[in-house]
Amino acid sequence: MDQFIKLSNFSKIAPYAQLFRQGLLVTILLSLFTVIIGFCLALILALMRMSNFRPFRFLGIDKEGHQKEGGALAAISKFNPLAFLATAYVEILRSTPVIVQIFIIYFGVFSIIELPNFQLFGFIKFGRFFPGVVALGMNSGAYLCEIIRAGIQSIDGGQTEAARSLGLSQTQNLRHIILPQALKNILPAIANEFVVIIKESAITYTIGVQDIMSAVNAVKGATFVILEPLLVATAIYFCLCFPTSKLIAYFERRMSHGDKR
Amino acid sequence: MATRDSLIRVRDLKKHYHGGSIRALDGVTVDIEFGDVMVVIGPSGSGKSTFLRSLNLLEEPTGGAIYFEGTDITKKKYKDEKGKTVKLDVDGLRQKMGMVFQHFNLFPHMTILENMTLAPIKVKKMGKAEAEQKALALLERVGLKDRAGDYPIQLSGGQKQRVAIVRALAMEPEVMLFDEPTSALDPEMVGEVLDVMKGLAREGMTMVVVTHEMGFAREVGNRVLFMADGLLLEQGSPEDIFERPKSPRLQEFLSKVL
Repeated sequence: MDQFIKLSNFSKIAPYAQLFRQGLLVTILLSLFTVIIGFCLALILALMRMSNFRPFRFLGIDKEGHQKEGGALAAISKFNPLAFLATAYVEILRSTPVIVQIFIIYFGVFSIIELPNFQLFGFIKFGRFFPGVVALGMNSGAYLCEIIRAGIQSIDGGQTEAARSLGLSQTQNLRHIILPQALKNILPAIANEFVVIIKESAITYTIGVQDIMSAVNAVKGATFVILEPLLVATAIYFCLCFPTSKLIAYFERRMSHGDKR
Repeated sequence: MATRDSLIRVRDLKKHYHGGSIRALDGVTVDIEFGDVMVVIGPSGSGKSTFLRSLNLLEEPTGGAIYFEGTDITKKKYKDEKGKTVKLDVDGLRQKMGMVFQHFNLFPHMTILENMTLAPIKVKKMGKAEAEQKALALLERVGLKDRAGDYPIQLSGGQKQRVAIVRALAMEPEVMLFDEPTSALDPEMVGEVLDVMKGLAREGMTMVVVTHEMGFAREVGNRVLFMADGLLLEQGSPEDIFERPKSPRLQEFLSKVL
């Protein structure tokens, strides 16, 4: 260890460039699928949390058909099991480490569920990749749920009132009035989540997903060089994340411009 | 049973919050007849907006009854003529009541034409061509046909409110509810909106208007309600209310606004 970084070490790891290229592809695919799964899950969770599903509503209605004020029955009648489940899910996933979640999914859930043993693009082991996507997607869904919920709640209540007073049902209001406006507002936040996941996905190397970090590990094992492969990984991650977030910021500025009233 | 004498009968309508500690409405009884132009006036916080919003159930009343075409719409379920229990069709009910808001509430992501045709197409299942044709005819009436392809953001406040009125009219409602339709407008735009409303009144549309425009109340209204503290304190013809106010509360209110 006479010199911190050696140029000769870079030439030592150069033959493994293919590993980094594959790792880059895996990281991008992993992040993309994660955001897609996370978004769909988040939309369902957000709608559950904001739903008006109250199966015990009848307990809180008095003989005249009006809502009761106060009392235990009135409280039970307001209980929404869908919202409760979604809230519990979000809070549990946000309050536990990602690596614990990934291990539970990989060593727990997918030790029971048998996954087909094939390789995407001839090298990505599906049995590792898929649990990684599921775990990251479940985690990101919890965070995106809050983003979507905030997006929906940021839409002026007058929009819903106008839609409902025109006779649109709750579902029609959501589909035609609220979601189009909310999704446009939160698009930058979703794109940002994509950048966050690119970085977070590095943790999936612990269950053998062949992403950029696993390339680092493989090169380290083969050449006993540690720092230089890490620097290569740093450069790749930076080149992936920095331009993307700048691009998002640019579009965010442009979009908010058109919204000024 | 649908009674032909009154379109809406409001009986002892109450809206209490926090177990009755806040009483936005504290027992309002009034009949709204076909062709009425009923103007509701009163100081802010008097419950006049809550009253109006209760009529199409944007606020859920906590007591009393509202009979619309003979059916009590404050009950989630009611018995029809055959004695069968039916669920109240709130969406269907709201189609029959057009509502115009203080802040217009146009849909900003849709063009004016799309704003107007959305509900007829999605709710009334009208064909797109027919809905657009009707929308354009309505827009022409308020002088905004050439703005059909624009987005709400490109319109002035007065134009937005005129669009909001004809958007509600596109559903061919039986009664139009106006919640302070000119309060958010610049003074020079108030006239153009009031003109549209006057036109509607002349055509015989049943209207309930919450407003601070006393000139409109006097000129167009055939009945004026004065509300204060969630109570209906006085009602009568515009002459009764403005020339011969009885309650001290109304006299005081009028001395401030006139």
